[in-house]
Amino acid sequence: MYELNICHLYPDLLNLYGDRGNIIALKKRAQWRGINVNISNVTIGDRFDASEHDIIYLGGGQDFEQKILQEDLLNEKASEIRNGIENDRVFLCICGGYQLLGKYYKTCDGKEIEFLGALDLWTIAHEDRMIGNIVFECDFLKSETCDGKIVGFENHSGRTYLGPGVKPLGKVLKGNGNNGEDKSEGAVYRNVFCSYSHGSLLPKNPALTDYLLNLALKQKYKDFTFLAPLDDHLEELAHNSMIKRILK
Amino acid sequence: MKIRLAFSILVAKLTIKLCRLVQWGGTSLPGKLARKIYPDVLKEIAKNFSIIMVTGTNGKTTTTRIIGQILYENKIDYITNRSGANLADGITTTFIEAVSLKGKSSTLTALLEVDEAAFKSITDLVKPDTVVVTNFFRDQLDRYGELYTTLNNVASGIHKSPKARLVLNADDSLCASLGRESDREVIYYGFGTEFTHGDKAVGSKETLNSDATFCLFCRSKYRYEFRSYGHLGRFRCPECGYERPVSHVTCLSVDKLTSSNSEIRVIIPEKNTCRDSADTCNPPCSPGLNAVCAENPSYGIIHEPDENQTGFQHPEKDNQTGQQLTGTKHLIQPDIALPGNVYQVKVNLPGLYNIYNALAAAACGYALGLPAENSVKALESFECGFGRMETINTSGKTIKLILVKNPTGFDQVIDYLLTEEKNMQLAFLINDKTADGTDISWLWDVNFEKLQAIQDYIENIYVSGIRAEDMAVRLKYADIYTDKISIQKDYNRLIDTALSRTAEGNCFYILPTYTAMLEIRKVLKKKFNLKEFWK
Repeated sequence: MYELNICHLYPDLLNLYGDRGNIIALKKRAQWRGINVNISNVTIGDRFDASEHDIIYLGGGQDFEQKILQEDLLNEKASEIRNGIENDRVFLCICGGYQLLGKYYKTCDGKEIEFLGALDLWTIAHEDRMIGNIVFECDFLKSETCDGKIVGFENHSGRTYLGPGVKPLGKVLKGNGNNGEDKSEGAVYRNVFCSYSHGSLLPKNPALTDYLLNLALKQKYKDFTFLAPLDDHLEELAHNSMIKRILK
Repeated sequence: MKIRLAFSILVAKLTIKLCRLVQWGGTSLPGKLARKIYPDVLKEIAKNFSIIMVTGTNGKTTTTRIIGQILYENKIDYITNRSGANLADGITTTFIEAVSLKGKSSTLTALLEVDEAAFKSITDLVKPDTVVVTNFFRDQLDRYGELYTTLNNVASGIHKSPKARLVLNADDSLCASLGRESDREVIYYGFGTEFTHGDKAVGSKETLNSDATFCLFCRSKYRYEFRSYGHLGRFRCPECGYERPVSHVTCLSVDKLTSSNSEIRVIIPEKNTCRDSADTCNPPCSPGLNAVCAENPSYGIIHEPDENQTGFQHPEKDNQTGQQLTGTKHLIQPDIALPGNVYQVKVNLPGLYNIYNALAAAACGYALGLPAENSVKALESFECGFGRMETINTSGKTIKLILVKNPTGFDQVIDYLLTEEKNMQLAFLINDKTADGTDISWLWDVNFEKLQAIQDYIENIYVSGIRAEDMAVRLKYADIYTDKISIQKDYNRLIDTALSRTAEGNCFYILPTYTAMLEIRKVLKKKFNLKEFWK
């Protein structure tokens, strides 16, 4: 029987906007296929060994909470996160979690706060927030049965810019994405997937959820072939009704 | 007489008439027009009133209604923004309805529900004498911003109202912080001890999605002696020592939680109320309800509480609700609660969260120096309505309308549903308009998984509203039987189908977000002759 270990990093601090929904989606869609799932909640002061986890999840948080964990992340867990990334662990990082993997965050008064530097990207604070529904298109998801469109909701004031070391997760069709300028949304590096699209990103986009599960299982089991299909009637209704509404 | 003031009032009054004539609530428009004509209108006409403001994330409307009932039981005439029109325009309309063209009124007490984001700007115009704060939870982040922004807004509104006494939730570390190191009068309310209901401990264990896990002052993790729900409970910061303050109005036990009400024992102390009229009172007491005092000298003006009140033994005997308990002694730790008489009260609304609303209102009554018996009477008799546990009875069946708007509130409603012992029909109406919050990802922070425990009682689940499909997905991922879930966007058909499937004596629960509540209320109003929402 297959088994996946999913790590939720700082679940008590990075838990904004229904980020838990992504964990629920990964867990349920694996369990419905008879795959065993263990969820570990790892927070400040906890031991973290990236090699023990198949999927590692970092969500977004409020400024107050993000400041609390910064020290633990940058000093205690940084090298393990880098190890995990270079050893092709599957990562999903949303909003604040996404920004934290980058090189730095420049505040409105020009101060540069050093971040993890695991990914070639950086974020610049801005007065105005970019809030609203977003649709973007991921080439790696395109197949006979999937048009690669992803629907989500963004709410961020930071503008993120990508260096040559990473690729965007998708191309924005409606909404702002990384910075509202270059039509890019999110970032991909090795098996790390980052997005500003928060909350119910995975439940509403089962193709992306399955892509991540598939990747993690292939990484772990040489004999793993493919995920059994599920009845996604409700997910498709939710996905399609929003795409239709936003793109009209 | 100021011509412009009179003109602005006149226009607004006519607009109110016109709105009523065309069956449109019109709670904001008249105030808006008046403020266009005369920007200072609100400031001008509100200044002669004694003002009670109720703000916070959850429970504003219910708490306001209970306080209204307390005022009523004390025969205090008041005006209030009944329909939840809690921004500047709606509040202006409320005052304009009460005043003459000169801006004068015979009613001199105003009870106002104020939106927590608007509180800061409204206190520029209207100076409260009493501010009741219910709680702070994450709510519609796309609209309110982060939780701490809301807290800071309320804090600065309070700062701008130096004469206001505060009524605060002791169990909420965010709310209680507003009274910290303040030299004004601060009244706290909360739960005194951990309590049980049957064999189950009521209240939740630590949840990952708690909104305030870390100390507001030093960012260490709070320790909890007990929690009621969310981040509410007896908190203490092990580093800096910030802790739940001693409460004045304290719930000692929850003896019964049913689907229609709850029975609690509560300490409500009593201030020495001034028996003098406003002009003979010497030394002059707190200006809070001076105006009322003149009219109703038996209670109204407040002296400081009796310093000699000592001991922490509360007499109790009688088991009938609404009565002061006398006889056996009840011990409570002095670092949790102030002493006072213990009352057995049947709170006329179900749900743990409504006990907090009841405590807040009783604490407000205490702050105003009103007799505790009248507060108890009010807790047992008030009715809420307007989508807050609003009940419609039709041919032996019951429809209950319960507003849901953020994760903590929704979780509380789900806990309430768990107290239902009969079969039920259940509808979720989820919209994503501006007033609902355009981001519905918060649905993933709600513990729908808890519904598994009663899924055999739930005969059918209907999902409706603009985001019906997302709600269906959420339920599916909470392992709720999908064959019970149907998407029904037509409210008329939804009501007809659900009611036809509701057995006599059973209940059909409708859980809408704010704008969905307004929409379905319109349909229900037509079908069952509901009260107009501005009444």
